[in-house]
Amino acid sequence: MTARTHPFQRKANLASFQERVVFWSLRAFTYIILLFGVCIFSIIIIKGAPTVFDSFRVTGSFPFISNDFLFTKPQTLHVFKYKGEIKQMAADDYYAFVGQTPAPPPAEIPTTPPAPAPDANAAPSGVAPVAPVAPAPPAIPVPILTTTGINPDDITEHETYSYAAGGIWPQIVGTVLLVIGSMTVALILGIFSAVYLSEYSKQGPFISAIRLAIVNLAGVPSIVFGLFGFGIFVLAFGWNVSLMAGWFTLAFMILPVIITASEESLRAVPQGFRQGSLALGATKWQTIWQNVLPYALPGILTSSVLGIARVAGETAPILFTAAYATSDKLPWEITITPDRLSSGALGYLEYPFLWIHDFVFHGVNALPYHIYVVSSKIPQNEYTERVQYGTAFVFLGVVMTIALASILLRTRLRNRLKW
Amino acid sequence: MPTPVHSSSYSNGPAAEQIGKIRETLLLMASLTDRNLSLALRSLVERDDKLSDAVEAEDSQLDELEVSLDELVINHMATHAPVATDCRFMLVASKISSNLERIGDQAVSIARRARELNKEPLLKPLIDIPRMAQIAAGMLRDSISALIDRKAEMAQEIIRRDKEVDAINKQLARELTSFMLEDPSTITRALNLTLVARSLERIADHCKNIAEEVYYLYQARDIRHERKA
Amino acid sequence: MSTSPTTIMDETTPTAQSVEVVMNPASPALDKSSRFNAPTIIDIDNVDFYYGQSKALHGINFPIKEKLVTAFIGPSGCGKSTLLRCLNRMNDLVDGTRIGAGSIKISGVDIYDPSVDVIELRKRVGMVFQKSNPFPKSIYENIVYGLRLQGINQKARLDETVERSLRGAALWDEVRDRLHTSALGLSGGQQQRLCIARAIAVEPEIILMDEPCSALDPIATVKVEELIHQLKQNYTIVIVTHNMQQAGRCSDITAFFYMGRLIEIDTTEKIFTNPSQRQTEDYISGRFG
Ligand SMILES: Nc1ncnc2c1ncn2[C@@H]1O[C@H](COP(=O)(O)OP(=O)(O)O)[C@@H](O)[C@H]1O
Ligand SMILES: [Mg+2]
Repeated sequence: MTARTHPFQRKANLASFQERVVFWSLRAFTYIILLFGVCIFSIIIIKGAPTVFDSFRVTGSFPFISNDFLFTKPQTLHVFKYKGEIKQMAADDYYAFVGQTPAPPPAEIPTTPPAPAPDANAAPSGVAPVAPVAPAPPAIPVPILTTTGINPDDITEHETYSYAAGGIWPQIVGTVLLVIGSMTVALILGIFSAVYLSEYSKQGPFISAIRLAIVNLAGVPSIVFGLFGFGIFVLAFGWNVSLMAGWFTLAFMILPVIITASEESLRAVPQGFRQGSLALGATKWQTIWQNVLPYALPGILTSSVLGIARVAGETAPILFTAAYATSDKLPWEITITPDRLSSGALGYLEYPFLWIHDFVFHGVNALPYHIYVVSSKIPQNEYTERVQYGTAFVFLGVVMTIALASILLRTRLRNRLKW
Repeated sequence: MPTPVHSSSYSNGPAAEQIGKIRETLLLMASLTDRNLSLALRSLVERDDKLSDAVEAEDSQLDELEVSLDELVINHMATHAPVATDCRFMLVASKISSNLERIGDQAVSIARRARELNKEPLLKPLIDIPRMAQIAAGMLRDSISALIDRKAEMAQEIIRRDKEVDAINKQLARELTSFMLEDPSTITRALNLTLVARSLERIADHCKNIAEEVYYLYQARDIRHERKA
Repeated sequence: MSTSPTTIMDETTPTAQSVEVVMNPASPALDKSSRFNAPTIIDIDNVDFYYGQSKALHGINFPIKEKLVTAFIGPSGCGKSTLLRCLNRMNDLVDGTRIGAGSIKISGVDIYDPSVDVIELRKRVGMVFQKSNPFPKSIYENIVYGLRLQGINQKARLDETVERSLRGAALWDEVRDRLHTSALGLSGGQQQRLCIARAIAVEPEIILMDEPCSALDPIATVKVEELIHQLKQNYTIVIVTHNMQQAGRCSDITAFFYMGRLIEIDTTEKIFTNPSQRQTEDYISGRFG
């Protein structure tokens, strides 16, 4: 058989060799990166998922299933030997087990442990202090029986581990509230300033300088935003450590991204929409509001998905502005004492405003901050690891859910306003 | 009813309007020419000088129409760059109008001869000339109907009729020459009759040209100067 | 042409009948001077126009006549669009633009006078763009956009306007069954006619068109041109085109621009058969540009 020769005969040469080397090295790099990603995610999932899935529990009332990890507050874990048997109990269960002692409570539990509520999920409970010291020294044995008939002397080798029991419900709530609030603030501020910058302002060196400054803001470390928020919102505005201060601090952190992305999306709206509208006798604002912003919105939302992940994940900006390691109340667990209300009908009108005021000026917990606390602020041991990975796993889930929701919203908008 | 004459590829709009105007002008010229020709022949046959005057008076209208038609044609070509049938129509309209104008001129010359002839008694009974005139006028009408009714085949048939006119013309020329040889006093009248015959022969030629243009318009094939009869 | 049709007709003529039908002694083409007698609606008076420091228009000076189609032709960058956009002040949207000298008067009012409301001006002077720009809304909403801006929301009034405008733009029959579907589902030519319909919905007096057919195929182009011919009955139309044939086909008056200057303006027939300027002739015969 003779090899047929033609002008397009394949020949070995340097270029084809190079082509193959490049192809394989690019492919290898990509897969190595992918491998790392897969490793990280698998560790979080393998170690975190059991924490969540082991905590499912059948309840007696609707919806008949609950999850102690997701829907209860963190508690201190009590580990002790009772009559030679090692027991692990969350603080609530422990106090229910031990019952009231006539003696004053141990020093390391400053808040008064209330009587165990019938529904452990909703009742406010005694939680470890902000800077927990663990393991705590064993309880002082008192040779008197407690109300539940337990001799405290039977409890030996008693150790407590902060946050190691219970769940992370306040942290989930806090993160979701922070994300929604700060995205709302950031989108409103960002879209309006983007509209001004790209639609109204006269383009020139001044506006270019502003734009450059905004872009550079994106490179500022988030801790600086945290300090800025602390200085401005917490101290100067007197908002204290609150949702409000957190919203604005986080919003300012992602504003550069939102503004740049919004400007980009506004630019992507065909010039013809503006000219067509103006030529029909519309004012500039009518044109922007009716014929430009609606079509830029999907693009703005797309790029703000990145902002969501960032807002949800940052610890530093909320460190001083919004987050408590613990807080005994969720934001809506508000009690408005009658002395704050005017008497009469006016009081009823004031009520919602006070409610909103208390809501937004309430500090929260947050998942990333919780991860930070449980993995670096308290001593590490086999009991805290469960919470660390569980929280990381839930955090991934929350961010994905919010991102997915905004992607769905964007898709719906886009389908409705396609051009 | 089929669309008269050439129908444009434009359904309406300025192009259709302009083409329509060219068509109108062309048909107006055709009817004027036809009328002038029949008036000229009647002035000869009925020996009526008033008819001759009318022919001469109306010829200037034909001239004006020819000029304005050419202007319309060039405007249309310049502004619309017509293609295909529209383009052929421009060329054909211009040529037909110039042929019609020439026919008009020949009608004038017939009318002038008729006025001369009317001053003296008839040389002989008019037989051949009316026959020629009938054929030539028929050719004119038919070539215009071929244009209006888009009948390319009819155009071919018209072209054949030109031969008959030529034949009659030759025969009449010989006959009139013999008159002149026999009796010199008939020379003026015989010459005038010869000229009338010659005019009719030219008119038939122009009609043949028109028929050829009509054929070209509808068949896009040039049949001028083809040997085959 | 003094002869009346009756004297030139002869019953012996076979073509007499058809001639009589089509003959129209008052045909305006035979009396073309009448076309320039239309009243002036836009008076462009020695206009200089600047983009920042660069002068784009130099002393443009000519009137635009009512209910005629005026075409602006000239090589790319000669200022046709600039002048057109001066007529409804769309140039205001570009930073640093100004009329350096001269004035533009519409029905006698200087449109650059500070007392002029641009919004009102643009309602009277509609515009159709090179790239058809239907809004991503339904056909119906596209047409009523201008009315809704003016606060007109009565359904009967809107319905009536939609039908009138679409009929006016020769689009009604094609879209009457899908008024509430997206305008983006229309073909390019239909979209452009929709934009024309949208412009006439606000009942302007003048319609400016900036290369309205440059993105259309030949058939769609013919349709738009026929539409322009129809609209001439009710509107004054100014059309910019880089397609000389288009100017020839659909305009009554043609203005030729070169390097920001008006070189020649005349009836379209005159420009296309016997331009008086050498540059015009070179341009329309495709020798430069
Ligand atoms: N927005 C603008 N800024 C600066 N110069 C411009 C702008 N638009 C057009 N020009 C200039 O003005 C001149 C005329 O442009 P234009 O009116 O668009 O030309 P045409 O429509 O005839 O092609 C060109 O030289 C062009 O470079
Ligand atoms: Mg242009």
